[in-house]
Amino acid sequence: MTGVLDRAARLGSVGTVNPDPVPVPHGSAEPDDAEVGRRFAAGDEQALALAYARWAGQLHGMAVRAFGPGPDAEDVTQQTFISAWTGRARYNPEQGPLPAWLVGVCRHKIADTWARRDRQRREAEAAVSEAQATPAGGTTPPVDSVVTDRMLVLDELERLGQPQRGIIELAFFADLTHAQIAERTGIPLGTVKSHIRRTLERLRTRLEVDGAALPA
Amino acid sequence: MPHCQPEQLALAALREPLPADDAAHLGSCAECRAEVAALQRAVDAVAVPEFAEPGPPVAPPASVWAGIAAATGVQATPGGTASDAEPAAPAVTAPAAAGGQVLPLRRSRRTVVLVAAAAITGAVVGAGAVALLQGEDSLEPLTTVALEPLDGEPASGRAEVVVRPDGSRALEVDLDAPPVEDAYYEIWLIEPGVVDMVPLGVLRPGTQTFELPAGLDLAAYPIVDVSVEPLDGDPTHSGVSVARGQIES
Ligand SMILES: [Zn+2]
Repeated sequence: MTGVLDRAARLGSVGTVNPDPVPVPHGSAEPDDAEVGRRFAAGDEQALALAYARWAGQLHGMAVRAFGPGPDAEDVTQQTFISAWTGRARYNPEQGPLPAWLVGVCRHKIADTWARRDRQRREAEAAVSEAQATPAGGTTPPVDSVVTDRMLVLDELERLGQPQRGIIELAFFADLTHAQIAERTGIPLGTVKSHIRRTLERLRTRLEVDGAALPA
Repeated sequence: MPHCQPEQLALAALREPLPADDAAHLGSCAECRAEVAALQRAVDAVAVPEFAEPGPPVAPPASVWAGIAAATGVQATPGGTASDAEPAAPAVTAPAAAGGQVLPLRRSRRTVVLVAAAAITGAVVGAGAVALLQGEDSLEPLTTVALEPLDGEPASGRAEVVVRPDGSRALEVDLDAPPVEDAYYEIWLIEPGVVDMVPLGVLRPGTQTFELPAGLDLAAYPIVDVSVEPLDGDPTHSGVSVARGQIES
């Protein structure tokens, strides 16, 4: 049953720590997910279609959860696949399953949409306040620093290797405790804790360097 | 007490409960609290429900793939050119189950229930499935469902819906599967969209009987699903299904 349990460890988890150990004969009529991931990374067009067939529903579900059904959600789903395909050089099949990586790309697209809306909102408000010639005494629409922070964190997550990325994504997005993460991944508890600490430090540094300064 | 260990402060930033002495120290130490707050900025930035693990799948309209194909120039289609054996595009094709027939569950590829969902989203439960609820009261099984292994998992069996003389219903399950370590089997009834599901209980290999909630419409929850659940305290479906069947008339 290790196969099942291995899979249990990968699922849920966006990030995963073990590459798929199951070899699948190339040219199999029904390539497994790992094979689709390898072919996707290698630029096999059929793998894009297969990835869409398998995971578009899941990704579109995320997009719909964020924006409701309609053009915004559809755009996020579409952009996720386009950007994943054109950026496939950034996907390393040894570092985790394709659907988990696609979910990460989808988060980016959702955050992009929020950032665009925030920018439009500020531009609109700035235009209004300019028209009203309001003195800018503390009424200037602020940059939403959370919007910026969010983009920076997602960007930094993409730069993490495994198992750090899988661990922190389980903590962030699957809401698992460090003990649950250790159990799910098989990584020792102490190692999980020190990875979490180092990753949060790294994210803090990134935000302090590139993010908006926060009031002290 | 000295300052908290850096690892403990990181866990505090993730809002994990700390051991009592750490928690007490944190309550009285501004320096440690400032450290937690600094680490928490990143945590809070992405702590939005929209980023959580994917929830219920939603099939995108066909125009989404059309846009992808146009932008990438990819000629392949999700419509199943990959395999003669099985079409690979359930996520995009709207299952037009005109006759009100329950679509057969696809087997052998996806074990992730949330993804498999897309395959049968929109399936219509028909008169046949409803009719089985009107069988006479008896201990004769109303219906027998074969539980087929998913993705070659070594789990199979069968499930029977029985009605007792007092009108109550039960699901008798016979599971043939190896024991799992640090995990357990659970049995569920799932609606065709694979969004809503009713957990019936912990299942072990062998024969067991599960009470069916009074008033539960089996036609609305026709999928009998056996999952493997890690011992993680999370009551929701793990997404790892090993065997399935569908209640039909
Ligand atoms: Zn302290």
